[in-house]
Amino acid sequence: MPAAAPPSPAVQRAVRAPSGGGAVRRSALLAAATAAVALAALLSLALGSRSLAPGEVWQALIGQGEGAAAKVVRELRVPRTVIGLMVGAALGMAGAVMQGLTRNPIAEPGLLGVSQGASVGVVLAIAFAGAHSLDAYVWYALAGAALAGVGVYAVASRGRGGASPVKLALSGAAVNALLASVTAGVLTTRATTLEQFRFWQIGSLSGRDASIAADIWPFLLGGTLLVIAAARGLDALALGDDVARGLGQNVALVRVTGGLGAVVLAGAAVAAAGPIAFVGLTVPHLARGLVGGGHRWLLPMSALLGAVMLLVADVVARLVFPPSEVPSGVMTALIGVPFLVVLVRRSGVRS
Amino acid sequence: MSGTALRETAPRERRPAVGAAGYAVARGRGASFLLHRRSALVAAVLTAALLGACLASLCLGTSAVSPGAALRAAFGLDSSAEFVVGTLRLPRMTLGLLVGAALGVAGALIQSVARNPLASPDIIGVTHGAAALTVGAMTYGAVSTAVLPYWSVAGGLAAAGLVYVFAWRGGLHAARFVLIGIGFAIALRSVTQLFLTKGDYQVAQQATVWMTGSLNGRGNAEAEPLAIGLLLLLPAVVWAARAQRSVVLDDDTATALGIRLARTRLGLATVGVLLAALATGAAGPVDFVALLAPQIARRLTGTAQIPLVCSALTGAFITVLADVAARTLFSPTELPVGVVTAAVGAPYLLWLIVANRTGGRA
Repeated sequence: MPAAAPPSPAVQRAVRAPSGGGAVRRSALLAAATAAVALAALLSLALGSRSLAPGEVWQALIGQGEGAAAKVVRELRVPRTVIGLMVGAALGMAGAVMQGLTRNPIAEPGLLGVSQGASVGVVLAIAFAGAHSLDAYVWYALAGAALAGVGVYAVASRGRGGASPVKLALSGAAVNALLASVTAGVLTTRATTLEQFRFWQIGSLSGRDASIAADIWPFLLGGTLLVIAAARGLDALALGDDVARGLGQNVALVRVTGGLGAVVLAGAAVAAAGPIAFVGLTVPHLARGLVGGGHRWLLPMSALLGAVMLLVADVVARLVFPPSEVPSGVMTALIGVPFLVVLVRRSGVRS
Repeated sequence: MSGTALRETAPRERRPAVGAAGYAVARGRGASFLLHRRSALVAAVLTAALLGACLASLCLGTSAVSPGAALRAAFGLDSSAEFVVGTLRLPRMTLGLLVGAALGVAGALIQSVARNPLASPDIIGVTHGAAALTVGAMTYGAVSTAVLPYWSVAGGLAAAGLVYVFAWRGGLHAARFVLIGIGFAIALRSVTQLFLTKGDYQVAQQATVWMTGSLNGRGNAEAEPLAIGLLLLLPAVVWAARAQRSVVLDDDTATALGIRLARTRLGLATVGVLLAALATGAAGPVDFVALLAPQIARRLTGTAQIPLVCSALTGAFITVLADVAARTLFSPTELPVGVVTAAVGAPYLLWLIVANRTGGRA
């Protein structure tokens, strides 16, 4: 018998989700979520320490606007919004896949050490490999993310009971602490790295320029294709390894494809915007509540909601303390922790 | 009421690991005497090791001092090494001793209340709460080191209180407690980061070093308030040492004996949180000492109950030794001591998980 943990309540609920007749409703929900993304993007373009009217934004977008407003939109807010869209969508999908793969409601790039692994990759690249731009350190970020994620999961699934939520969270916390101490060691001994790293580290969309979007989209595309390829297998996996095998799925292949996809998505997102916690935790649960647990619906919904959550968090972060800004990573953490508390109290964890 | 608390985490402790099965089974006077002797022996050995680490801390560094000269300088008999030993290293060593001892006892108390090695103050968000408020105080003006300990204590207590309140649901399930603690730790860390980006560069540099837990450049200014705080807490710790015995009992036995477990637990945990927050205020979060020290001490003494004195000695030993390593490993660059303790402690935690000493369930 493989050491597969029984499906968690969340996943069981997901599997029981309505199957037939829901396609219209789900399509409508997806359309609504798309509209929400458009609205969030518009807000992100219009609001900030200097707020603009929708008309001005539109003028600037189609290239007719003149002066400072158009400049703000084109040079600052468009890149920021595009990166927010990409990173939010990537984190949402990565979280959904990780929860599906581990059959664990609290799986998330941040808690599982994947983001911290990518961070360490970036710090080491900045400090020792002389990398200063994203296209140079994205590979290090991916390698770090993969190593940390696999390590955490390997440790957690050893021993009695398989990879239970507590063991997963604890090994994530231990690996996070270990990696954070590596980061801190590098940063305290190399002051020049600190200044460059300080703003990147916290997870912020501000001050990221358009070239970042150009650099990461191939990675996000690749990761998305991988997780889409694994979607059907993830549905089967939710029923347990044995059933999945019985349904003719190659379980190992699904794990590798999905895991690689999630790591690429999370790693590239972290490389672009720094570690942004809890988007990957919160969004898939909300999406599952809307469209059910089938991954062919869950993945696009998670991507859309992830983009909405990150953009809204970023806009709120911009507006809370003008003119200085709260990094969006802080906002998502502050939104996400109450969510985690509710999740844990309600159903997430039971012996 | 009090009987239901923590029932789900009923003791899964192993019997005392004295090796021979006979010791564990015998509960007569002879056995308890034997255990005591072993504890005393362990305490003596730990004290000797601690003295050795202290001597190393006085001697080693960018300029090495011979042990004899270091001792003479420490007692003011020799003026040649006066500056290096007396001014730089002795206060720093003292601070390391106090911080380590406080963390060791704090971990021992909290772990014995939760009956789970993982419920140490750095995992459940206590040190992160202390750090968040302290860095906030640094950023928003209160730079005088005299004020920082108050902020740390307030932050630690607030974090512990929040985690307790949110994890309480007709009892304290250890798994829920740990998960919510980890969540709060992450949120508090990002609050700390927020304060860091708000401050100017110098504050950020200072706070970053503070946050990793460093003894570098610290000494009597931090050791004095810590020592005063520890002295004030001493009666509470003595009470805790006695009260701790009842916590090992299972709920039904304790209730039958008329011991108010819930209150005792709350008292013990409060003393533990206060100690951890005080230590954090003095040296920043020195991670994993509170997790490691009680576990090592208990393994050494082989008692069912986590020994307080030996935990204090082990904590002090680990911290002083880690500080020596932090300043000699990459000499002349110094690492913060917290980096060294985390590099040792995190793998230990991973090993605990793999070896399934985590209470196993949930």
